[in-house]
Amino acid sequence: MPSKKWNIIINIAITFGILGFVTLFCFLLQPFSDSDTHVPLLFVLAVFFVSRLTEGYVYGILASMIAVAGVNYVFTYPYFEINFAITGYPLTFVAMLAVACSVSAMTTRIKKQEQIRLEAEKEKMRGNLLRAVSHDIRTPLTSIICAASAIIDTHDSLTEEKRMDFVKDIRSEAQWLIRIVENLLSVTRMGGENARIDKREELIEEIIGSAVLKFKKRFPDVEVSVDLPQELFLVPMDGILIEQVLVNLLENSVLHGKVTTKINIAVVEQEDRVQVFVEDDGLGIRENILPKIFGGNLQPREGEESDSKRSMGIGLSVCMSIVRAHKGNMKAENRKEGGARMMFWLPKK
Amino acid sequence: MEIKDRILVVEDDKRIGNFFRTVLEANHYDVIMAQTGAEAYSLITSQCPDVVLLDLGLPDMDGMKILKSVREWSAMPVIVVSARTHERDKVEALDLGADDYITKPFGTSELLARIRTAIRHTRTACFNQNGAASGLFVSGDLTIDYDKHRVYKEGKDVGLTQNEYKIVSLLGKYAGKVMTYDYIIKEIWGPNMKSDNRILRVNMANIRRKIEKNPAEPQYIFTEVGVGYRIVEPD
Repeated sequence: MPSKKWNIIINIAITFGILGFVTLFCFLLQPFSDSDTHVPLLFVLAVFFVSRLTEGYVYGILASMIAVAGVNYVFTYPYFEINFAITGYPLTFVAMLAVACSVSAMTTRIKKQEQIRLEAEKEKMRGNLLRAVSHDIRTPLTSIICAASAIIDTHDSLTEEKRMDFVKDIRSEAQWLIRIVENLLSVTRMGGENARIDKREELIEEIIGSAVLKFKKRFPDVEVSVDLPQELFLVPMDGILIEQVLVNLLENSVLHGKVTTKINIAVVEQEDRVQVFVEDDGLGIRENILPKIFGGNLQPREGEESDSKRSMGIGLSVCMSIVRAHKGNMKAENRKEGGARMMFWLPKK
Repeated sequence: MEIKDRILVVEDDKRIGNFFRTVLEANHYDVIMAQTGAEAYSLITSQCPDVVLLDLGLPDMDGMKILKSVREWSAMPVIVVSARTHERDKVEALDLGADDYITKPFGTSELLARIRTAIRHTRTACFNQNGAASGLFVSGDLTIDYDKHRVYKEGKDVGLTQNEYKIVSLLGKYAGKVMTYDYIIKEIWGPNMKSDNRILRVNMANIRRKIEKNPAEPQYIFTEVGVGYRIVEPD
């Protein structure tokens, strides 16, 4: 593996760099001081830094051995001769070795703990998502089951109209479930581990067009307009994921804006980024949830009618992770004219 | 007695299979069902259906395998039904010779439209065996004149360049069907062109600016994100 080889080279470079620097420093100090007592101390310091900055034990131990030999050879009388008879020599050696080993051990442990902490955080995120999903799935499933049993159990006494209502409920609840599943698929598509995405140059207008088409299939009555600059934009992105972001934003405008009749999508080019705005004329976003809107916190909020238990949480937190994975960002605000404005931007390069 | 088009539905899920049967029979198709790949293969060879609806996830084999072996000896229309949303599977199926794909979940009208398109394509292919498009393609305000190599909108020549015309006429020839990016690039720029989507994107953006009112709300040429392009069916 080339990256492993590279790693070794970097570690060796760090080791010799630090040792070389200290040696040079000692040489420069020599004319100004009579005793050599500072030399071993400085080399202990060097060994400390080597152990701290390299991976594993090997480089620290290597550095301490070189340091012991070097100090003996270069900086202690007789200069440029190895003399094992100096008093305390074995002690210096053992001390340096001990420093190297314990610092390396500490560093390794710190790194491991960092890893564990990251894992735990990821695990927590996954847990949150799972909780959110189970919650968001249970509600529509319950109403599907209720509607279906109503039709089966009270079939004879139901009017044709009532029956149709139940069936329509079933369909719209199932559509909601599909939306959740699609978002989950987006999350798995981002690969979880290092959230690497497959970017290709896409025309932003094609992605918007496709998202609007999907949206229109579900909400044919809502008017959608698109403001596009005349020139072409090829923006590197994972088209499917950005389409998902747009579909989420459009559907949120209707599902949470409640009275939305008109949505406008605008694309604005800036020097190094492309901004996309989704503005609606719905009820807007309540100020108290605005700051944590991307958090994916799906606990049903108090004091709301039961329907809004379907928070926009999962959709928006998925949007946020998608946009972040593209090295962009998102913002939500209320428009002065009423309604909500969601914005995300993507870097052009 | 009327002669109905026969559709083979290859689907391992009984409920979805029932849905297909009910919807298709209600729309005057003759429906045969297969639940496994082996069953499907024997029905394809013995019954020669007019259209095959093929689910890719089968218990005994990968649907792609059936598609491949059918394509070795027949051009019968195959519509791939897939729950996989990953576009690579769609591209692979199309490149293997599937006529179209439809992603679960889908609506009834969408399903029926795809089946009609697939059947119509085999019919016109019989009449027009040399593959050269001739005559007119008309959809709404858009007209492609294959003989004059011109595209008109509301009666006016929109002034497409050579390559732009080639792309539009290629899509028009297979109207209603998705053409993958790679396929279009190979057809227009030849097999040595590397699969760089950029040149196709730029051409497509220019075409849209010439024939669509708003390029982001296309009426004629649609994007299947990550897969390819599709032009509307002619009137």
